[in-house]
Amino acid sequence: MKFWGIFLLLPVLVIAQPEFFGYFESEADVMQLGSESYNFGYNKFRLDVEARPNDHILIGVNISAQQYWGQTTWNLLDFIPDFGYLPEHEINIALPDTMLLDNIYMKLSFPLFDFTFGRQQISPGVGYAWNPTDIFNSKTLLDPSYEQTGIEALRLDIPLGNRSSFIAILQPEAELNRSTQQYVFKGGLGSFDFSLTGSFQERVDYTVPILGDLDIKERKMVGGSLVGELLGWGLWGEFSTNDLEMQSPFAVFDYNSLSPLTPLPDQTFTEYVLGTDYTFDNSLYFLGEYFHNGFGVMKREDLAPIDYFAALGGASHSLMQDYIFLYTMHPTFDFVSMSTLVFANLNDNSGTFAPQLDWNAFEDTNISLQGSLFWGDDDTEFGLQDWGLRLRVRSDF
Amino acid sequence: MKTKLLILLIASAAMLSAQTPTAQQIVDRVTAIMSPENSYSKGSQTIITSSGKERVFEFESWAGGKGESSLTRYTKPAAIRGQAFLMLNNADDIWSYFPRTKRVRKLASHAKKQKMQGSDFTYEDMGGGDVFQKKFTSSILGEETKDGELVWKIQMIGIADQEPPYPKIIMWVRQSDYYPVVLDYYDEKDFNSKTLLLSDIQIIESYPTAMTMVMTDNKERSSTTMRTLEITYAWEPPKGFFSERNLKK
Repeated sequence: MKFWGIFLLLPVLVIAQPEFFGYFESEADVMQLGSESYNFGYNKFRLDVEARPNDHILIGVNISAQQYWGQTTWNLLDFIPDFGYLPEHEINIALPDTMLLDNIYMKLSFPLFDFTFGRQQISPGVGYAWNPTDIFNSKTLLDPSYEQTGIEALRLDIPLGNRSSFIAILQPEAELNRSTQQYVFKGGLGSFDFSLTGSFQERVDYTVPILGDLDIKERKMVGGSLVGELLGWGLWGEFSTNDLEMQSPFAVFDYNSLSPLTPLPDQTFTEYVLGTDYTFDNSLYFLGEYFHNGFGVMKREDLAPIDYFAALGGASHSLMQDYIFLYTMHPTFDFVSMSTLVFANLNDNSGTFAPQLDWNAFEDTNISLQGSLFWGDDDTEFGLQDWGLRLRVRSDF
Repeated sequence: MKTKLLILLIASAAMLSAQTPTAQQIVDRVTAIMSPENSYSKGSQTIITSSGKERVFEFESWAGGKGESSLTRYTKPAAIRGQAFLMLNNADDIWSYFPRTKRVRKLASHAKKQKMQGSDFTYEDMGGGDVFQKKFTSSILGEETKDGELVWKIQMIGIADQEPPYPKIIMWVRQSDYYPVVLDYYDEKDFNSKTLLLSDIQIIESYPTAMTMVMTDNKERSSTTMRTLEITYAWEPPKGFFSERNLKK
């Protein structure tokens, strides 16, 4: 998919008088994890190229170069509690410098439908911090609105009126019958917007080094969303019901012998997010979300390493079942806004408090400073970490 | 004799009516002039904060159905390039699009009173249509002269159950062509919170058009100047133009 995309699209881009834009972003972080303090960060350059040879064609390419510095190799075991029976090995995840075509796509607009093919951003759902209907991406709670990486997909959008449309997404695999499919119907009902979603995924592999794979043989999902308002408050909800058929003979590991022990049972679970927002007369913006994930673990004592790996690897939208996310923002001074993020795991009573300052220093340059304080016992999801500091500078062009 | 007197009275009333329209008639004419069937424009928006800092934005804007529907897409600065807003039903329904995340978000009514891109215009201010006609009752406060032009001073009081964008607006309307030149917006405490000045009024395709609009926030002492760089009223919206599909283009 990558190669035919490049061969097909790049020559067209060259002759279509493209527009160039993008940004440079630099980030420096300090994190206190137990008795260890880590310094790390990255420099990222992203070049977006867009060409419109005529009114019916849009060609887009995003080139992203990212160079990491400081701590660039992380031991996954540092991010899960000490279960006492994990191997002495380090499960290292390295962050190598990268240069990649994040997106490369062509959108053809016909009178009755749009067809987009190539690597493209796909962001289903209406939730801010969580999206139960999103089977393509995972979000970071400290920065849920950060852009997602591209998905290799074929996408068909059929408008059915000003507020209704049908969307079909196919994420092709080498074998066609393994391709992920998602179908969405969007509509409007009075001042409310709604959507109905159905997805089918065949064989999803989440590889965890040394410990092996968490393999899902088949995933079926139906879900939906609703967005509107009540008494001036913005309201939204998004839900999904999932059927996971796990790959047999996988596998909860016997961590002492590092061998598969028992197959994981098939799973049927529901996820939903409920959210609200409001802007007060003094310009203070408030957003709150509650998230429930039936695939998560209810009680702290029932947690196993595989649950952490499922959450860290993106197989599950969260480690445990119940979460809350609160966000406030106020434009305090000219081009300076102060915001605060608070999110908490309601099952293990751990959480994070993260105040942030954003300064639009120059027309296209933003500087943000975010602190994060974690609370909870040392063996809880967020209590594992102590505090963090993040400085991010970004210049768009 | 009686018949002659009646005819004279009716004729006098008709002449008086022709010379001094009612407040509602003035507002109707203002609405008609300010809401052409369709339009396409390019504009710039310069925000000057209370401390004198300046930011300049550029955008393209399409409006249809006499202002009932509109779509605005920012082209500059780079940080917000491609951000777009779709307003339907005279800005009762607003969707925003963020190209970095490829997400469309529906804004609740609380957000409509917020500053658009940090400017002194709210989302509601940008929505046109028949808001003055439907959400306010009007009365004439008097006649004045502004910049050498004879103007009517119109008071518009918001109708509570229609959720007006402001409780009260005072508008000065040129008598020569029914074009408004100044609008004072009042808050709940009857404080003149914002003032809009319309100037450099040119006839474009037979419609008087303010090429410059300055909104001043009298509380924060900031101002936003909106300049029309290019405009046509001959643009016809293709079917389905004001839709989420087009918002994301």
